[in-house]
Amino acid sequence: MDAFLTSRVVTDILEGIVQGVVIGLVALGLVLVWRATRVLNFALGAIATLAAYLGMGLLSYHVGFWWCFVLCIPFGMVLGGATERIVVRPLYGKPELNPIVAMVGLLFLLEAVVGAIWSTTTRAIPVPFSFIHWTLGGRPFALSPLSVFQICAALVLALAIGALFRFTQLGLQLRATAHAPETSRLLGVRVSRMLTLGWMLSCSVGAVAAVIVAAGFATGLTPSEMEAPFAIGFIAAAVGGLDSPVGALVGGVAFGVIEQFVTDYLNANLVLPVALGILILALVLRPQGVFSRPVARRV
Amino acid sequence: MKALASLRTERPLLWRAVATIVLVGIALVVSDQVSALTDYYLADAAAMSIVMVGLSFLTGLSGQVSLGHGAFMGVGAYTAAIWAVHHAHTPIVANLALATVVGALVGLLVGLPATRLRGPYLAGMTIAIAVAFTSIISEFGSWTNGDQGLALPTPVAPPRWLVQYLHSTPKAGRPGNMWLADIAIVTAGIAFFFMANLFRSRTGRAMRLVRENEVAAEIAGVSLPRARVLAFVVAAACAGLGGGLTTMVAGSVAPSSFELGLSIEILTLLVIGGIGTLSGALIGGLLYAYSSSWITSLVNATGLKPTSNLAASLDGIIFGGLLIIFVLLAPLGLVGTARLVVARRLRASRTSEARARPSTTT
Amino acid sequence: MIRVSHLSVFHGAVQALHDVSFEVEAGTVTAVVGANGAGKTTLLRTTSGLVRPRSGSIEFDGQSLVGRRPEDIARLGIAHVPEGRGVIEEFTVQENLRLGALHGKGRFAEGLEDQFALFPALKERRRQHAGTLSGGERQMLAMARALIGYPTVLLLDEPSVGLAPQVTASVLSTVRRLCEERHLTVVLVEQDAMSALRVADRAVVLHVGRVAADDRADVVLADEGLRRYYLGMVS
Repeated sequence: MDAFLTSRVVTDILEGIVQGVVIGLVALGLVLVWRATRVLNFALGAIATLAAYLGMGLLSYHVGFWWCFVLCIPFGMVLGGATERIVVRPLYGKPELNPIVAMVGLLFLLEAVVGAIWSTTTRAIPVPFSFIHWTLGGRPFALSPLSVFQICAALVLALAIGALFRFTQLGLQLRATAHAPETSRLLGVRVSRMLTLGWMLSCSVGAVAAVIVAAGFATGLTPSEMEAPFAIGFIAAAVGGLDSPVGALVGGVAFGVIEQFVTDYLNANLVLPVALGILILALVLRPQGVFSRPVARRV
Repeated sequence: MKALASLRTERPLLWRAVATIVLVGIALVVSDQVSALTDYYLADAAAMSIVMVGLSFLTGLSGQVSLGHGAFMGVGAYTAAIWAVHHAHTPIVANLALATVVGALVGLLVGLPATRLRGPYLAGMTIAIAVAFTSIISEFGSWTNGDQGLALPTPVAPPRWLVQYLHSTPKAGRPGNMWLADIAIVTAGIAFFFMANLFRSRTGRAMRLVRENEVAAEIAGVSLPRARVLAFVVAAACAGLGGGLTTMVAGSVAPSSFELGLSIEILTLLVIGGIGTLSGALIGGLLYAYSSSWITSLVNATGLKPTSNLAASLDGIIFGGLLIIFVLLAPLGLVGTARLVVARRLRASRTSEARARPSTTT
Repeated sequence: MIRVSHLSVFHGAVQALHDVSFEVEAGTVTAVVGANGAGKTTLLRTTSGLVRPRSGSIEFDGQSLVGRRPEDIARLGIAHVPEGRGVIEEFTVQENLRLGALHGKGRFAEGLEDQFALFPALKERRRQHAGTLSGGERQMLAMARALIGYPTVLLLDEPSVGLAPQVTASVLSTVRRLCEERHLTVVLVEQDAMSALRVADRAVVLHVGRVAADDRADVVLADEGLRRYYLGMVS
């Protein structure tokens, strides 16, 4: 059993899952915004990074790690809400190119702002979990306390969001807004608030992802840490279908595993090209994504 | 004046050819008179405006977003560099042509799946390409020399006829590479002439139809996928050409020059200039060439320490901020907004003229 | 209860309603009939706030509705069942109803029982996704969803579309019953004018965006001259 658990394949799968939960969170964040407002939040990674820096910045005020971690979430919510109100709202109804370009501009701006305030050198964060892998029968096992923390944090967040959507009145309204905004208004739902809320949730999900990335792979916070996770997260969301939160999470984890296998058996440089190839293949075969239902074009 | 106006409407091709020759001529004369440093900027501007006119066509006319234009540029740049390194005595024109063709091929590769994608999906895919470019460069290190980049065997041979031309101008006694500015200007002239015709041609109009009303386009018999792929091929070819030119001008390539930031800068400056226009691309090119020196001046003027975090990130803040401001307030860019204002004034004056005239029917 | 005064509505450059005025009394059924394109749906959509009029006013119990957001108008107790029903297919029947009850009056549990008593077929299908329902069942769901919040006014847009005549008759008689039992005010837009006029107290006949007649329903029904406006035989 030990030999199996420490085998190359299982190790890759497990490490892939650790990578994948972050990608899944990014993909989830993208889907949350897309469903509600039909805008693809290209700045999600950058907003998330800023929120993470702000939260973790409290460390220098002798705030404990766990408090900082939790506080990243409200920072994400504020930034997300502000973005929706200030940048996205004026662009509803404009050609779809405009919000895309605006979001890209925001991406560039925020990454630079983070670099300006905190510099581009990596900042270590004192995660209270050891990154030393456990051993099984003398052989190194894929997981460490740190990686378990990463998986659990992502899982808890995903479940919380899922519970919010499925079991609360607010979640019902959010879903209704995403499916049928006009009908929802006729039923008294304050749709514009729901849209803002969608953005707030999306960016707080991103913030947690950014902290997990910083804790794990980048060994600290860097302004551009979310660029690659965003690219793959987008691909995962696109393949899973931008309308499906479950598809986003599952797709994210799947891509994490694929990413790990590519890195192990081929080359780390090939990860993005392979992901791109999968995207192209998936979109050629099924343009609306693997999980979404096909939408006929009405003429 | 009337003769000119009628020439413009009746023989547009001739008009454009004449206009191009005149503008290029002026630019050449100017480049002869200015300093070597300004020449360098002009060459850079020319190269970049070629890249931008392609993007202007792609995004403005066919409505497809490309956030990976830096990668297309990089393809052209590396093609030209690798070829020059292995075949040092190729005439520069051949080098540029190769960069253009390879760019076009890559555009075809990207354009084919792109036809299936709607706005945000396409944008996401092109961002992924932009981010992946540097990885791909590192992956093929044996050709590209990875992170360290390639240096061109200096100097790439100038065509003989140009050397003879230069002997008769003030440039004769100057650092060798400034003839590159002339090459760049002429190349830009040719590219713009081609693109101007393309913008106004039946193909160009078909593109606009594809962008504005797909259903109408289909009814009119325009092949949607073909139009879209063509747009990508053209845009990527322009980017490849521009990339090749920048390599020639700079004398080297490195992957760090072609990161995501470049794609975003290209887009930002084109938005500021005016998407979908030719002059906007030209303005964008000039802005690009001078942006880093302007930013440096800004840093000095405000007394910022050049090594501070803020100074290092200033270009990102300025470009990102400008992009957002322009999209929110002036999405058509400088040229587009100016045209809109002029068109409105014309319409207003015509309406008031019509009102002032006594009606002939009751 | 509802007073429409000199309402003019444009769709872009095209004028859909010209100077429309009429009144709806509380606790009555008012049928709005007319040919396709007469402006009936536009009238309802303007009332519920989805469309802004160019000029004119709509007053509900003395309060002006024009300029308010649809969600605020809904919270005043005006329920609009739109053309096409607007049933959320991805939700279950129960979730649709839950949504309807969120911003209405009364408690969900009681409202749910109430609606299940009115529409027993919905109770059987409560856990089914609304996308699997038939046309008639969707109409019932849409109405139950509108009624579960105990609204004061019900705006019904073309409930008969896609329904067999018996089902339409059943729906309309339910509407009549609700009006009488609960003092519900109903504005009923219907293509099937004859059926609508039979259950209505008053009728407003629209023709190309203008009011051609505004009278008691039985009077309008008997008037053969008016028939041409709503039986689709006019140019």
